[in-house]
Amino acid sequence: MMTDATAPTRKEDHRLLTGRGRFVSDLQLPRMRHVTFVRSPMAHAEIVSVDVAGTVAAGAEVFTSESPGFEVALRALSALPGYVETDQPPLARDKVRFAGEAVAAVVHDDRYLAEDAAEQVIVDYQPLDVTIGAWHQNATAVTNGAWHQTVTPVHDAAPDNVLLQRTFEAGDVDAACDAAAVVVRRELVTNRHGGNPIEGRAGVALFDDGKLTFWSGTQIPHLVRNLIADLVGLAESSIRVIAPDVGGGFGVKAVLYPEDLALCLMAKAMPGTPVKWVEDRSEHLLSACASRDHRYELEAAFDADGRLTAVRGDMWCNVGAYSVMPWTAGIEPLMAGGLLTGPYKLDNYRCTVRGVATNTAPAGPYRGVARPATVYAMECLLDSGAAALGMDPLDLRRINLIGLDDVPYRMPTRLVDDTGHYDECLDEAERRLDLAAVREEQARRRREGGRPIGIGVAIYNELTGLGRAASAGPRMPFRTGHEACTVRVNPDGKVVVLSGVTSQGQGLETTLAQVVADAVGVGYEDVEVRYGDTDQVLWGFGAFSSRQAVIAGGAARLAADELRGNIVALAAELYEANAHDLDLIDGEIRVAGSPDPIGNLADVARASWLESNRLPAGFEPGLDVTRFYDPVMGAFAAGVQLAAIELDPATGGIEILEWVCVEDAGRIINPQIVHGQVVGSLAQGVGGALYEHLVYDELGNLSTGTLLDYLMPTAAEIPDFDVGHVEQPADNPLGVRGVGEGGTLGPAAVIASAIHDALGVELDELPASPDRVWSLMRRAEVGGSP
Amino acid sequence: MRDVELAVNGRVRALRVDDRHTLADALREQLGLTGTHLGCEHGVCGACTVLVDGEPVRSCLMFAAQAVDAEITTIEGLAQPDGTLHPVQQAFSDCHGLQCGFCTPGFVLTAVHLVETHVVDAAAGPLDRDAIRHELSGNICRCTGYQGIVDAVERAVEIRLR
Repeated sequence: MMTDATAPTRKEDHRLLTGRGRFVSDLQLPRMRHVTFVRSPMAHAEIVSVDVAGTVAAGAEVFTSESPGFEVALRALSALPGYVETDQPPLARDKVRFAGEAVAAVVHDDRYLAEDAAEQVIVDYQPLDVTIGAWHQNATAVTNGAWHQTVTPVHDAAPDNVLLQRTFEAGDVDAACDAAAVVVRRELVTNRHGGNPIEGRAGVALFDDGKLTFWSGTQIPHLVRNLIADLVGLAESSIRVIAPDVGGGFGVKAVLYPEDLALCLMAKAMPGTPVKWVEDRSEHLLSACASRDHRYELEAAFDADGRLTAVRGDMWCNVGAYSVMPWTAGIEPLMAGGLLTGPYKLDNYRCTVRGVATNTAPAGPYRGVARPATVYAMECLLDSGAAALGMDPLDLRRINLIGLDDVPYRMPTRLVDDTGHYDECLDEAERRLDLAAVREEQARRRREGGRPIGIGVAIYNELTGLGRAASAGPRMPFRTGHEACTVRVNPDGKVVVLSGVTSQGQGLETTLAQVVADAVGVGYEDVEVRYGDTDQVLWGFGAFSSRQAVIAGGAARLAADELRGNIVALAAELYEANAHDLDLIDGEIRVAGSPDPIGNLADVARASWLESNRLPAGFEPGLDVTRFYDPVMGAFAAGVQLAAIELDPATGGIEILEWVCVEDAGRIINPQIVHGQVVGSLAQGVGGALYEHLVYDELGNLSTGTLLDYLMPTAAEIPDFDVGHVEQPADNPLGVRGVGEGGTLGPAAVIASAIHDALGVELDELPASPDRVWSLMRRAEVGGSP
Repeated sequence: MRDVELAVNGRVRALRVDDRHTLADALREQLGLTGTHLGCEHGVCGACTVLVDGEPVRSCLMFAAQAVDAEITTIEGLAQPDGTLHPVQQAFSDCHGLQCGFCTPGFVLTAVHLVETHVVDAAAGPLDRDAIRHELSGNICRCTGYQGIVDAVERAVEIRLR
């Protein structure tokens, strides 16, 4: 049981456990009205007409693309060559490009009435040809490095639907393949699924007295303020974005959505009236960003000793109907191509990635961005290589892992891996799983009969806390490397932290309070952390890319250290002591070697804020420090997952017997929270590997539009994970490595690897659903019920 | 519209509801009890679970008018007025059984029912982790991976049986 008597009680817990959380959907304001979006039932169609007469008669306000102010569009910008910029209107204009796209917005006094009125909106559509797949439909083969498909374009600007194409290249791939002892080839397809936070998207917008206030479940309030200003025709300074308690994000809420823009435009058109939108689950499945709809055609070359000498191939990422704001259609393909080779040493690499538009919901960030798919692809190549060479899959990996002697290791895509602790993680994972015992049981069942057991492995590097250099790849018109943090001592001696990051469950109120309490020298209970409000917090990019502990933690530490220095300097003058002899412990000022405190922080703070008569020469009033931090590069976190699964020949069902995950999280600030992050991300990874799949039919209708069809794992499907750590401090103020996403990276690879281990057959398509596994077992001729 | 009286957290509240108003919406919108959360609005995720006469019920699938004459307990009704947490709430905090907290009210109320039922049926045998996982499988959590929640229920049972 993971309880830690020394762990501080999370600052978030009491309000969340007593029903006093403050979520956007809880917000009630005077004169508030409620919004329902009318969504397209067609995947691709021209909008012939929108008749709103019945809706207006029902007492509703209606907005369409014709409404004043709605002529603007979201446009995700990037200077990357090979990127085609496209527009996404707040409400569909002329055309709809996916089933679920918002065509009109209806405002009424409550949500029941708004939904009634929305049914009165009559839209006449002229259907167009629909493109669902990013590769198979009408696609010709890859010829001469180029790839073409003939389609009805989703956007006129991209006649072949390719919104982004880029080739990563290093070394001499073809020569290495020619010289190789073996070259293995895999064609793999991964399954579209999404973050599905239990709180869907929600927003309340109010335009009053020339100022727009937007309460939103966003992970990126300052970016939203910046991006939305021009679009709503206001100065950025006239906009306040507030992200209060948010019920899960996972990347899905790190996006500026057309609904967000529409809501702000509606508010601007209705001054003084707050407008509120809370999506339901069906809307979320239909229209929030999804991810991981990829195809891989890859080859890996090995020498006779098992050394990986080349990887080459092609990737297709289905980016859906629009280029997601602000990360662009490149978010998945660039991450996929940039990090495919993971923790393995490699000189020769050539991979062409494509982001292909289709008539499906837009693809965007989801915890792990692309890497749950690329780790699966890479580990499949290694398992095939081991089979071709007759080597043990773990031995083959050990030969190729980046080691301590190799770091800093420059990957073939020029990212620099700074960890190298993969072997150590693998050792610990083998110990925890008791690999020898599982192998013995596997052999016994093979001899004596019984359900097959397979052992699966995944090794990965999680790029976290990306600084300005590491975040430069997508060439967007901003760099997300820095965060601001203000640490202030109030006149009563209590400490307030204003951080630029946000939290959707990660416990940042607690973790940052621990960091600051420790650095300043006050009690944890005397520190309050605030974030998510652009009017309170100086600057921040928010929550994504496992950056909060590294960057916001770093900024908090720098600010707190400086503040402590200021406090001690002032105390030395006030109490006529030598600053070098002074210590600040638990809010008390102490002199080294003396049993009693000579003063306390509240007294120093009172002097600083209220009693300028006590301030010595050279001291300004106020105890308040703001610092920025940018790690410039980033911190890689090593991770290994090892699991034993059992296959049911009758049903194709998979039972997880044991699942071990060992990561290098760097220095751990709060073990309970880190454990929770790892376990939670593992569960999401297992969901994506085994159950979750957003399926479209050939007309572009989502056929998994409820949680009865889209299977999110429950407590009955998820096992107890055994989580271990190696703590190797990273080179940043706290020595931490991000830990939020790693768990999602392994499960698909682990499951495929375990099936390969159990049956000797390759799982080329995800999820590992019972029907697919059952078919593989037939192919492997594993007996079951007839 | 009809006038109804609902007994919520030990207090009788008068309100006017449309026949189609769900219990969840009445609790949230009319009584300001926003601790009851809506995660799917089609009865799968369990976030909106409340206790109706002690039994867990999805308040998104029950009409407010159906809850007349019943005792309703929401998440706001568990802690003491001075803020002291119910043992199940305390166990969730101790075991890190919540992260974002959005599914938490539904899980806590489901767990309260589970723990209390088990205490009555303690002779039926121990409530092991597999049984807890099975019992909680009507609620979805996206953050915790369930391990902390199962820990919390185990702990709450232990404390309750002490």
